[in-house]
Amino acid sequence: MPLPQKGSELRVKIGGAAGLGIKAAGQTLARAFVNAGLEVFDLTEYPSLIRGGHNTYTLRVSPRPISSHVETVDVLIAFDRQTVDKHLDEVIDGGAVIFDPEVTSTDGWLPSRRVRPVPVPLKKFAKEAGGPIMANTVALGAALGLVHFPLDTLAESIAAQFAHKAEEITEQNIAAATVGHGYVSKMAGDFWMKVEGLPDAPRRVLVDGNEAVGLGALAAGIGFYAAYPMTPASSLLHFMAAHERDAGVVVKHTEDELAAMNMVAGAAFTGARSMCATSGGGFALMTEAFGMAGVSESAVVVGVFTRPGPATGMPTWTEQSDLRYVIHAGQGEFPRVVLAPGDQTDAFDLSWKAFNLADQLQTPVIILGDSYLSDNRQSVPYFDLDTVTVDRGKLVSEGDVSDHPDALGEHGDYLRYKVTFDGVSLRVLPGVKGATQLVNSYEHDEYGWGQNGEIAAERTAQNEKRMRKLELARTLVPPPAVFGADTAEADVAVLFFGTTKGPVLEAMRWLEPDGVKVAAMQVVTVWPFPAEEVRQFLGAAKRTVIVEGNYTGQLQGLVREQCLVDTDDTLHRYDGRPFSPEMVYAKLKEVADNG
Amino acid sequence: MVKVADIERALEPTWCPGCGNFNMWKALKEVLEESGMGFEDYAMVWGIGCHGNGADFYRSQGFHGLHGRALPVATGIALSNPELKVIVSMGDGDGYGIGGNHFIHSVRRNIDMMAIYHNNQIYGLTTGQASPTSDQFMKTPSTPGGVVEEPVNPVGVAIAQGATFVARGFAGDVDHLKSLYRQALDHHGFSLVDVYQPCVTWNKINTFKWFRDRVYKLEELDDYDSSDRTMAFETSMSTFHELTCAPDECKIPIGVFYREEESFTYQDGLPQLDRPMWKHAEKPRDISEILKEY
Repeated sequence: MPLPQKGSELRVKIGGAAGLGIKAAGQTLARAFVNAGLEVFDLTEYPSLIRGGHNTYTLRVSPRPISSHVETVDVLIAFDRQTVDKHLDEVIDGGAVIFDPEVTSTDGWLPSRRVRPVPVPLKKFAKEAGGPIMANTVALGAALGLVHFPLDTLAESIAAQFAHKAEEITEQNIAAATVGHGYVSKMAGDFWMKVEGLPDAPRRVLVDGNEAVGLGALAAGIGFYAAYPMTPASSLLHFMAAHERDAGVVVKHTEDELAAMNMVAGAAFTGARSMCATSGGGFALMTEAFGMAGVSESAVVVGVFTRPGPATGMPTWTEQSDLRYVIHAGQGEFPRVVLAPGDQTDAFDLSWKAFNLADQLQTPVIILGDSYLSDNRQSVPYFDLDTVTVDRGKLVSEGDVSDHPDALGEHGDYLRYKVTFDGVSLRVLPGVKGATQLVNSYEHDEYGWGQNGEIAAERTAQNEKRMRKLELARTLVPPPAVFGADTAEADVAVLFFGTTKGPVLEAMRWLEPDGVKVAAMQVVTVWPFPAEEVRQFLGAAKRTVIVEGNYTGQLQGLVREQCLVDTDDTLHRYDGRPFSPEMVYAKLKEVADNG
Repeated sequence: MVKVADIERALEPTWCPGCGNFNMWKALKEVLEESGMGFEDYAMVWGIGCHGNGADFYRSQGFHGLHGRALPVATGIALSNPELKVIVSMGDGDGYGIGGNHFIHSVRRNIDMMAIYHNNQIYGLTTGQASPTSDQFMKTPSTPGGVVEEPVNPVGVAIAQGATFVARGFAGDVDHLKSLYRQALDHHGFSLVDVYQPCVTWNKINTFKWFRDRVYKLEELDDYDSSDRTMAFETSMSTFHELTCAPDECKIPIGVFYREEESFTYQDGLPQLDRPMWKHAEKPRDISEILKEY
């Protein structure tokens, strides 16, 4: 398999018990490489507990663009024996294992003809530097020493990590990293691997998916965010709360998800750009109010970052099994838009666009992600803030409603739900003179009166008006994204949505030297479904395959239903783990070869 | 400034003749007129139930939400536009049953808003099932053997939970109810007015007469101190009445149970809520400084 050539990139895996600060240490290392101009992608895997268990943090570093994690490891940092037992097989031939001989016994795996042991007295050095908690910082220094990477960017990133703590802490950690670096540079100075920075590389942003969504929401002018903690969406609540005062956002940790969704609808009523986010289980609790947002034509944005279900499922793992759920959630029929970012750049762009769509369509918009997006950091080009626009659609926020005669009915009354050609009515905010209205969870007439919604003609008119917005949505939503070869010339065409993007793009790079031509389509807006584009894409292809992280083939089902076509093959994963590029590579190759 | 006649430029009420909601409607309209507010100064929110049908009977800047979820909608409004006074109407099943979680948390948050509970001790709109405030042993279609549970004591729960304004009214006394509404509207903080509002169709026990024989006014007592939380709580406990209790055995206090004049509201804790939050979305927010952290 033509993996990136040995030594062309670095894969470090750090493993140990929860509570050791493995993720924080790993992220410090990631920041150091990004500051040196390199590309990184990290993957954190952890059980749902706070102390103990087994956590790993995997960091992939490359001078070239990368878009996912990979299955192999060059340098394993083992904070305990369990890490060796579980992950030694992942280390490539000639790779290294950094460990503390005082903590991790060598019985049974050393001596090894396959891997290079790098014993470092991590605990001892940490104690000498200031405390045993700094063992992970010693290990970071050791890892950099092993690959002949200078210490200065790590020192910078340590300083940034501890910027809000006492200066002493920063100094101690830098000392800890320095001693690890120096020790390993001497002890293993002959190690074959060498990582070099790219000093002239353009500045990158290093964010996880939730941060990217949060930054997009801030840029869009969000004014109200409400959420109840749920993995993997919780860190977006932390992000928004951390910025509530500097950016000017009201952030509410609510008593439950029902409150979150209802509060967001209330905030949308006053014209605030408002959002909530959760995972599948929390969205189940939000669903009734999600429907209310639909019938009341409330402009709300909902983040649904999925994990394996049903019910509590596997809280800290990933899956794409709520695609059908978010498309259909809610009783009755109403228009909605579902956007599925595939990576951090998508997440930022689709987040601010979601607010525009919600306002333009006056209906709920979902950002559908998953743990693979929420939890993992990736270096991406600096977000282009100049492209961000605010389009609030048909909105009147100040003045007098009498200045808008088209929106008035008999007696000059403002009609919140006036039937229009495109289904969108003029939205006049409370506080505007004459803006009495009844925003209603009941079916209603043009004013909003509930009783009149029971009149058959009123119901029909309002129902059709709302559903027409779905046709308007088709003209506004982001189209599918295509990658790789022209479909007609490709040996295989692959269709996917969401975070499968990373492993697919990665696998496509690996297939190039094999001479396999791949065309890929990412369904960016999964609802309304881009049936015409997908049908054309699949119809022009020699061999087709759908890659999606669920059991039942939910995207495939949509393709059959919406496009009346099928694909030749599928690749599924539903064990809580993200697709690896290795898996996708093998599948695409198989499909291409069978063609 | 709103006038009763302007508020009434809505649909004709569909409540049963004699329903306690009529007097609550009358009292609130008149207090709104007296308040001097214009339509653009306040927002009204309703849950679902007979009280909620009232959404069609007020012209207002209104939001008719879901069953049990009026408080979070109202909270979203109050926490995104500080210029709007928020008035929430709920029922007993709506606000104390399905919405009970929001009730507790809204109270402890002390969000500056006014909450009115139409408490008829029955589910009216769904044809007469027991509600969380139905008397113990009351027989209804959903409790043919009689209600087994103790009723919810909303006044006591609110006081225990740190409420800063708790009052109870009786729909049979409009002038008294108006005085409670006035005080609740003026209160800086979460003001709860639980109103006994007899259901003439489904609740044949707790009738207007039943209440008239039992209610007394706290403000008419010489020794009642509405700034004394303990006294307020004890007084709230005296109102657990059983179905069979005779008028001279159980008296029902109405009036202001508890009031804390200088309270710290949720909005007071939000310095960023210094303007309607839609004003943050007039153009893209400059996040270049924030982005530098990443």
